[in-house]
Amino acid sequence: MSAPREARRAEALESFRVRGMPHRRFEHWRYSDLRAVLDAGQVAQAGTAHWQIPEPPAGVELFDLGKDCAPDWVARNLGNVGNRPTMEEASLAFADGGVALRVPRGAQIAKPVRLQVSAAGNLRVLIVLEDDAAMTLFEVHTMDAGLVRNVGVEVALANGARLTHVRCASPSPRSFTIEHIAVEAAANAHYVAHLANFGSRLSRTELHILLQGEGAEAHLSGVTVLGGELHADVTSHIEHAAGKTLSTQLFKHVAGGRSRAVYQGKITVREGANGSDSRQTAKALLMSQRAEADLKPELIIFADDVKCAHGAAVGDLDEDSLFYLRSRGIPEREARKLLIHAFLEEAIAAVDDGALRDHIWQDVESALPRAMEAAK
Amino acid sequence: MMLEIKDLHASVGGKEILKGLTLSMRAGEVHAIMGPNGSGKSTLSYVLAGREGYEVTGGSVTYDGHDLLAMKIEERAAKGVFLAMQYPVEIPGVTTLTFLKTALNAQRRARGEPELDAMNILKFVRQRATALQINEEMLKRALNVGFSGGEKKRLEILQMKLFEPKLAILDETDSGLDIDALKLVAEGVEALRTPERSMLVITHYQRLLNYIVPDRVHVLADGRIVAAGGKELALELEAKGYADVIKVSA
Repeated sequence: MSAPREARRAEALESFRVRGMPHRRFEHWRYSDLRAVLDAGQVAQAGTAHWQIPEPPAGVELFDLGKDCAPDWVARNLGNVGNRPTMEEASLAFADGGVALRVPRGAQIAKPVRLQVSAAGNLRVLIVLEDDAAMTLFEVHTMDAGLVRNVGVEVALANGARLTHVRCASPSPRSFTIEHIAVEAAANAHYVAHLANFGSRLSRTELHILLQGEGAEAHLSGVTVLGGELHADVTSHIEHAAGKTLSTQLFKHVAGGRSRAVYQGKITVREGANGSDSRQTAKALLMSQRAEADLKPELIIFADDVKCAHGAAVGDLDEDSLFYLRSRGIPEREARKLLIHAFLEEAIAAVDDGALRDHIWQDVESALPRAMEAAK
Repeated sequence: MMLEIKDLHASVGGKEILKGLTLSMRAGEVHAIMGPNGSGKSTLSYVLAGREGYEVTGGSVTYDGHDLLAMKIEERAAKGVFLAMQYPVEIPGVTTLTFLKTALNAQRRARGEPELDAMNILKFVRQRATALQINEEMLKRALNVGFSGGEKKRLEILQMKLFEPKLAILDETDSGLDIDALKLVAEGVEALRTPERSMLVITHYQRLLNYIVPDRVHVLADGRIVAAGGKELALELEAKGYADVIKVSA
């Protein structure tokens, strides 16, 4: 491994050693007390998770981070996108592998790149899109056993680049799953993410998005469907650092059993980021009295002339609607399901690719029976 | 008898609303229930449809030989009871056509009939929608979302046409309609009159009964039927007002 890469890893290790595991005294880890369930040693000894890209499409440059002699674009970016939060430093320090993808200037990759992540361990993913390049990354997570997975994803978008990032994580009732996604978007770059979460013992998906060039946009949407004792936390921080930047967020959560669904969305509009526009909506449906949803939008504005709107609502299925459907002969369970579908529809419709949308609906379908169970 | 209500008592939130209501209808008959606000008209329709929160504390309801009150909401629908609601709900995220298909097939399944596929459903719905001036664009929209008052009521009547109930209860179907919309809806209902189908038309005003002429009119006041008569009773109520009629019969 090259000297700069080694030096950056050593730095990450030191940073993680000093800061340690995040815990609930940090406001943005309040609903996911990682230190209470996992210690630093368990993360350090987790090894490296598996990744696979079954059919890398033509036009995408791929580098296996487990190998030496990283090309310049990897060495330059790896570990340098974003603000280096502690768990991301841990994944950099402890992962002995991962994958880096680059799309060269102006190339448009039509077919989604499917990245499968499995097994326990740390993992790094680096996505570099050069000027006006476009790609769809479809990240599929499965985890049947193993204690912890900690993934650090970095996304560097040059001027006018467009990444659509669809992430589906199937339920992992026995594991702790953490992913940090750091995005830097230059002028007119678009980052579009859709996160479908089905929970784990503690599932944390954190995004830090820096809209650093004028006209950069971030559009996040997602669904969480949980039952049993599952937990899923989506925490986003979008920083509007340049003028005329736009961000939208739409999250829909369904929580049954004794599960817990968390959404925290922080927006910072930095000084001088005039003409910026941010909107966020988070809604949760509780299917049982023991389920919990925590929705926390947050706005910090240092600029004038900005538009910011946010809304959050937690509720249960509408009794009038349920009665209406049943009075038309639709059995209660089917009626409930139809209403949950209706609730999620808006967020899933945000996914443009029909095949990916179908994949998400299928995952939702398999997660629903558990989410519709009452607490035991 | 298609419907036989005997000494029905029902409460909502612990407060008794129906206080011994008795009424019976034969197959093919159209009965109107008229009454002032708060007399229990909507409570009666919800009790017949089985809505939760409407607690029956006494009496019985026999529908086509079955104990109606023992049946689940969806079971009543599959067995031919249809309630056209005063305020049809809006459900964003479910298209009208998907809703109609789900409901129609759920009823067919409950009756042991084969389900209809998407093509046949569309054909089946289209054939019945035209006369009610419901076009395909409307069927593709989310259920009742952004529909005008008239559109909502027309969609209720379309459902009645599709589900072919044996007993239709129309709860204030005329409310919120202008005269043209009222005429369109009333003609739709009138066209569904058959010797087998009974209809219970609940209304505050007489005007709907100009189009749907009832075989019998009942006056509901304070949870009981206080007067009954032929279609001329509706005109009398319109002329004299509820207060007089209720006073005379009390």
